[in-house]
Amino acid sequence: MQTFLTEDLAVPPPEPPRPPTAGPADWVRRNLFRSVGDGVVTVVAAIVVGFVVFRFARFLFSTGRWEIVRTNLKLFMVGRYPADELWRIVVALTAVAFVGGLIAGFVARRHVVAGTVAPDQPVTRRLVALVGRLWPLVVGVLLLLFLSSSPGPWLTAAAIVVAAVLGRLAGPYLPRRSAVVLVLGSIVLAAALVWFLTRPVGWDRWGGIMLNLFLATAGITLCFPLGVLLALGRRSKLPLIRAVCIAYIELFRGVPLFVLLLLSAIALGFFIPTWLEPPGLVVRAIVVFTLFTAAYVAEIVRGGLQSLPKGQTEAAQALGLSPVKTTFLIVMPQALRNVIPALVGQFISLFKDTTLAGAAMGFLDALQVANAATAQDAFRGQRLLAESLGFVMLLFWIGCITMSRESQRLERTLGVGTR
Amino acid sequence: MRRTFIRGLVPLAALSLVAGACSDTGDEGGEPAPSGSGAAPTTGGTDDTGTTPGSVATGSTPTTAEEVQTGESLLDTVSAADVVRCGVRDDLPGFSSLDDAGEHVGFDADFCRVIAAAVLGDATKVEFVDLETDARFTALQSGEIDVLVRNTTWTASRDGIEGATFLHPTYYDGQQMMVAADAGFESIDDMDGAVVCVAGGTTSEGNVATEFARRDLTVEVQSFEDVDLLQEAFIAGRCDGWSSDGSQLVGLRSSFPDGPDALVIFDDIFSKEPLTPAVRDNDTRWAQAVEWAIYATIQAEEYGITQANVGDMAAGDNAAIVQFLGGENADGVTLDAGLGLDPAFAMNVVSQVGNYGEIFERNLTDLGLERGLNALWGDGGLQYAPPYR
Amino acid sequence: MATTTGRPPLWRDVRVLAWTFQIAVVLVVVAIVFWLLDNLRVNSQRLNIPTGFGHLDQPSSFPIPGSDFRQTQPVRDALVEGFQNTLRLAITGIALATVAGVLIGIARLSQNFIVRSAARAYVEFVRNVPLFCLLFVMYGAVVLNAFPRVADSWDVGPVAIVNVRGASTFWFEGGNWKFVVALLSAGIVAFLVARWRSRIADRTGTPGRTGLWALPTAAVVLVVVWIVLGLGATAPEIDGARVTGGITMTPEYFAALAALVIYTSSHVAEIVRGSIQAVPRGQGEAANALALSGFQRLWHVVLPQAMRIGVPPIGNQYLNLAKNSSLAAAISFPELTKVTQLTVANRSPAVPSFALLLGIYLVLSLVISLFVNLANRRLAIVER
Repeated sequence: MQTFLTEDLAVPPPEPPRPPTAGPADWVRRNLFRSVGDGVVTVVAAIVVGFVVFRFARFLFSTGRWEIVRTNLKLFMVGRYPADELWRIVVALTAVAFVGGLIAGFVARRHVVAGTVAPDQPVTRRLVALVGRLWPLVVGVLLLLFLSSSPGPWLTAAAIVVAAVLGRLAGPYLPRRSAVVLVLGSIVLAAALVWFLTRPVGWDRWGGIMLNLFLATAGITLCFPLGVLLALGRRSKLPLIRAVCIAYIELFRGVPLFVLLLLSAIALGFFIPTWLEPPGLVVRAIVVFTLFTAAYVAEIVRGGLQSLPKGQTEAAQALGLSPVKTTFLIVMPQALRNVIPALVGQFISLFKDTTLAGAAMGFLDALQVANAATAQDAFRGQRLLAESLGFVMLLFWIGCITMSRESQRLERTLGVGTR
Repeated sequence: MRRTFIRGLVPLAALSLVAGACSDTGDEGGEPAPSGSGAAPTTGGTDDTGTTPGSVATGSTPTTAEEVQTGESLLDTVSAADVVRCGVRDDLPGFSSLDDAGEHVGFDADFCRVIAAAVLGDATKVEFVDLETDARFTALQSGEIDVLVRNTTWTASRDGIEGATFLHPTYYDGQQMMVAADAGFESIDDMDGAVVCVAGGTTSEGNVATEFARRDLTVEVQSFEDVDLLQEAFIAGRCDGWSSDGSQLVGLRSSFPDGPDALVIFDDIFSKEPLTPAVRDNDTRWAQAVEWAIYATIQAEEYGITQANVGDMAAGDNAAIVQFLGGENADGVTLDAGLGLDPAFAMNVVSQVGNYGEIFERNLTDLGLERGLNALWGDGGLQYAPPYR
Repeated sequence: MATTTGRPPLWRDVRVLAWTFQIAVVLVVVAIVFWLLDNLRVNSQRLNIPTGFGHLDQPSSFPIPGSDFRQTQPVRDALVEGFQNTLRLAITGIALATVAGVLIGIARLSQNFIVRSAARAYVEFVRNVPLFCLLFVMYGAVVLNAFPRVADSWDVGPVAIVNVRGASTFWFEGGNWKFVVALLSAGIVAFLVARWRSRIADRTGTPGRTGLWALPTAAVVLVVVWIVLGLGATAPEIDGARVTGGITMTPEYFAALAALVIYTSSHVAEIVRGSIQAVPRGQGEAANALALSGFQRLWHVVLPQAMRIGVPPIGNQYLNLAKNSSLAAAISFPELTKVTQLTVANRSPAVPSFALLLGIYLVLSLVISLFVNLANRRLAIVER
């Protein structure tokens, strides 16, 4: 991020040589008042930006009536999930945090062993770095905690932090070869948690941002393998396979997701026989997201495959690797590494698109909560859409910006494009 | 570039295949004329109530339709699943809305409970499915729901084309117009060139346009899928009038943020809107079961059976009432009408939900709705149940 | 079976295996599709629901706001009307999103700290919130909450009247086709003039100043054609509770357009920024060495090369915008999806209606891809 400010100015015009000075005055001259025209632009832009910031701040601190968010905080977060079953969500989050910490610790030690990061940085410095990395998330969580009126969320947050720290501390002591166990364990844990959370109420009363997060996670996990297969199929030498994959990809890329969701919500029953119970709406939404996003993932992965020099395949063949091994051990890892930013971008847009499911299928997801809250007796007709929608946008912004910043970081650590 | 384009053509070809297959099947079906590709609404396969069996299956080769007809009925499926999936809405005060606990309450919701009480013996065994207006018939057709009790007007083409069988109207309604009290309109005739907001995908849209055309007035009809959004738009001045079924308008006015006095509902009623529960076509047993569950509430009111006195009535000495409530008559015999319902279904309905008058009173009277057309036939209304014999 | 030619047995022959595998896959796909269609046929027959397109000739039973469409016209016309609205939204949206996106993308690289930061804040915010949220904000919070009632309209004489019922401005009297004719002739003349100027520039080496020549000429032609065709102008006026005259943009259209443009422009801006950065620095430095002005450097040297990199991803954004226009259904703008939903609510069978809808979007996507590919081909470096 920081690099944009220094390097990315289109191309600086020729500057007269001048004595190297530093300091605020010089910075102001170079960044704000380079020339007369630049000065005018600065003044005009400052007025406009100042006005927008003023109006925004006034809305945030003075004119905005945030009672609607405070009252409906539970709805926004978890929808109509029964209040006396909320402990399940706490348990699930804690478990996820612990495993996340465990994996982070495990990976960190491998980095230390591999010598890609310096070991033994002071804890305070690492904490500062972590907060600097995740500040939108930290700010968001603190905001939620201060909006809440009960001790529950505080305890939850504390439990999550403790679990994450414990996991992070325990991670480095895992046996070196436990990567496969960790991955499989995560998948089993995910399935177990879904079962655990749906046990009391099924899917029906899931809602709020929890539902959006769940739909996105499920969609991302499931679409990825399908997308990779489609990409391989599209590059396959077998003409019929290629044709099928191309037809699939172009079909799904050419139609709107919203219409697909509508169609699956109301017309699925026509396409299955009567003896077959149609799956629930949440399952259908996940299937549609998976099928739709897989087509996009396939195109991204195909781009990654195309960008790879042919020599890689040839070298693998020269070593006598089978085609399957060549693909999954040599070609695919490199291709995927090259397209991480695009993949994360696709996942971010999937997360944002989960809002469509609420409208098309009648879920009470975060966006629908924002709409429904303004129709409650206490808030009806008071024009509070700006507040409730603003809050939902903030929730999504935190999720998306965190993902995109982490992907940029990952891109840097993996050194995409620098090797 | 050319190759990309050709690649793009592949799905198109696939789609045209699909489309072709669709229209083919229509012709192929041949025999049952109404399912042909160019069916006119008036040739819909069912006659008026759709309760006569086999109007489609007759004359056709033994199709799946017939198999379903003679074989499994939704009645069996619902009994096996032990829950009735009832298509309702969640945003209409008085008919079906959510209370503070997130439960469905209202006139329509209570009729869902009536059906569950009659079929399953337990009024709580309802799964409420909230439906958007424009998805309701497709949801019914595709089997998302077992019965549609969603403030739905019975019309000829819905009966015919939508594959729905309408049962007994639970509420006789008519469309009216609501305006802001300070807007300066005295009647619809003052509203030339006005913008009228309606709920989209309903009969209201066409009715408004037709009514204004009949009065030689111009109108712009803006439809909204979401009543909440419609109300926001109305408050913001997006439209001059808000038109819908009279009962809905009364309900909406009663919960209007600026108080009910801020709105005026014109007296003109410009359409017939019999709000009627519907089930899928070609499932007579299920249709009859649901229909008689509804009749039971009306019959109970006629007999004067209420939630409070149903126990006494069942033990009383009026033979007709005892028979209606599924008791043994003087000779120890119980009437099973062969509807596939428990002989005591009326007992369950009345004791667990109430009679028609009680359901009306509980949900609609507070909104300011009169019985009017919905009084019993003996009181000059239209609610009339066939005899239970 | 092993033969005398020494070929491997059938079950080891890669080509046979490959074809068997392919045919098996295709058979499975065909079987699934056939199974689905057969279920559709059986279910539709069981429920007495038509599976063809006969509903297109039935009366639609609903009016469409913002147009002359009557409820007595057939469903076919309603879909045409809806498709026109989709096109209006998509084409206008693409044009505006391109302009805004390029400007913001350039602003993102400005040497001016405030401009740069503001552009970055805009992009980082808009890119990371759902379009659907923006749409509801534009309609529910901006149009319905912030725009005045008709009586208190923001009234700027004949130029514009804005209220919660829409934004009106002056317009050519008597129909859009005359406007199209005028605009087309102006565009053609502008193009010819620009070509003539650039030819002269090529021949003589003097500055072409194509823009300075073409735009005024086009304006003159526009006015002349307007007078020749005898076109009047109508200005909007507040007439009691309504606005008459001029041309009016419905609030639903405004909200949908604004949301689509805001959202897409942020994505386009990121692509433009990335493409400009991908242009080798030496190009800009060379331009500086030739003493080109800042604008000349950008317009003649940097942007043309950046376009080459940016066109395919920007084309994808156009596709997304066209498909995202279906979201406008949620705020009741009568575009194709909304109209299809209305027809389905009014007796049209769901599956054929939605199949048609998907088909139309597919064709629209293909046409946009075609244009993008053409543009791409024009821009591509001709390799020797």
